[in-house]
Amino acid sequence: MKPKHLIIAVCMLATATLGANAQEQNANKEVITIPKEQYQKLLDEHQKLVDEMKEMRAFKAQMLESMKKPAASQAETEQALDDLEKQLKDVKKMAKDSFPGTSKFLLTGYGSAGFIEQNHGGDKLFSATFNPIFLWKMSDRLLFEGELEAELEGHETSLALEMAQISYVLNDYMTIGGGKFLNPMNYFVERQHMAWVNKLPDKPLTVYDGLLPEAEVGVQLRGGVPVGPTKFGYALFAANAPELRVDTASIGATDLGTLEFDNFDNVGKHVAFGGRVGFLPIPELEIGYGFQYSDVAPPGNGGGVKALLQSADFSYVRDSVLLKGILNLKAQWVWSRIGDLVYDPNGDLGGPFIFRNHRDGGYAQVAYRPSKLENPVLKNLEGVFRYDVFNQTGTQTGVDERRYTVGLNYWLGPSTVVKAAYEFDHQSGVNAEAHDGVLFQFATGF
Amino acid sequence: MKRNIYSWTVAVAALALLTTGLSLAGCSTPTSSSSSSAGAATSKKASLSNQSGATLWAQNCGHCHNIRSPDSLSDAQWDVVVLHMRVRANLTAEEHRQILAFLKSAH
Repeated sequence: MKPKHLIIAVCMLATATLGANAQEQNANKEVITIPKEQYQKLLDEHQKLVDEMKEMRAFKAQMLESMKKPAASQAETEQALDDLEKQLKDVKKMAKDSFPGTSKFLLTGYGSAGFIEQNHGGDKLFSATFNPIFLWKMSDRLLFEGELEAELEGHETSLALEMAQISYVLNDYMTIGGGKFLNPMNYFVERQHMAWVNKLPDKPLTVYDGLLPEAEVGVQLRGGVPVGPTKFGYALFAANAPELRVDTASIGATDLGTLEFDNFDNVGKHVAFGGRVGFLPIPELEIGYGFQYSDVAPPGNGGGVKALLQSADFSYVRDSVLLKGILNLKAQWVWSRIGDLVYDPNGDLGGPFIFRNHRDGGYAQVAYRPSKLENPVLKNLEGVFRYDVFNQTGTQTGVDERRYTVGLNYWLGPSTVVKAAYEFDHQSGVNAEAHDGVLFQFATGF
Repeated sequence: MKRNIYSWTVAVAALALLTTGLSLAGCSTPTSSSSSSAGAATSKKASLSNQSGATLWAQNCGHCHNIRSPDSLSDAQWDVVVLHMRVRANLTAEEHRQILAFLKSAH
């Protein structure tokens, strides 16, 4: 074939191919002709579908949103419940704290019921005491303490103001107070005399209704100071001085030369100074020394009769696994030294009397409670033994006394106890009058 | 009479002087119950700080009487009682704070 013919053939083939393609494209772009009304109808339907689609999308979005909300609201509900619970707890606490005596003011105290029967014509009587203690915390530094004692003994009921003191915390180691307060130099009175604290139904000789005042009316400064691993406790006070009993019209001869501690009128107009220092070398042990010094001369005697009262105390409390319980040792010794005076110079009571007005005495006590035993009865039992001494034969009182007391306690709770004891009393001297006796007491602190 | 007035004056003056001097010398820390945590933070400074509130509670209270359960009183009541015992038993501020913090945390 000639090239000329080949070119012509290729051109014809190309033309035929292009023509076929064009025909095919024209077939795809075929225009359909419809009436205008139908076209408009189709347009309307199309628009309607578009609108419906939009609505569907909006509904879907709304549904999705609403599906998300429950999770959020659940979290909100839980938070609200937590808040409510917290508020309820706060309200409960507020309600609890607003009960009478639970906010800044607290009514506490103790009470007791007792019975004593002594031989040789001694006492045989029931007794009851009620000691409400009012505590009012006025601020973090300011405290008022008041205590009343209502006591029924025999057919008599007495009411006394045991304590009325306002205290101010000066700093970490010092508090100042004033009013009527328990005698700081008398360890037993300050720490042990409460019926539910005292281990026996009655109180030791000399330290209570004995040679030391139970309360002072004045001002005091006190506190505790740590020194390394040890600690010191201290108290200093100035108060109304006791009055020397010399009035033969109001007392018997045996009371001449004793001290009237309830000298609230401060008849002699003297001031007593005193204090106590306690040392705790280890937490279980405290050794203390207290003193009080004053003129005690009654009016008209010109003064000059000095009284020096001293006290040494010892306390050891050990809660021991080895001993399977609590060992409690207490001891206190008291000295009373009063200057010389001629008593009953007019002879109203058979005087005049001149004597060395020195008295002393004290007690030692041991108590043991097997609190670590498994037995529910034995673990609440507590055995107690106390030995009391009172020496005053050289005075007008004329009696020395030795007393042995054996007791058994049963603790119904931490501050409720039933006590039973038997007391062996030995007295010597011109006015000796000993009485053995059995004693019971039910005491509670609240 | 003059002698009595003199005695009282000396007594009050001595106490006032002692109080002032020791107050100035002493480190004063608020004893607020709300300051318990602050107190705890400073507890390391105290020589007795190695003893926990529970130990101090058992030792100081148990020295005189049986110890009562922390549940026996509310926080507000313990606030009052521990301040009362601080005065009576010569507790330091540190002992006060630690015992109170223990009693409040134990119920």
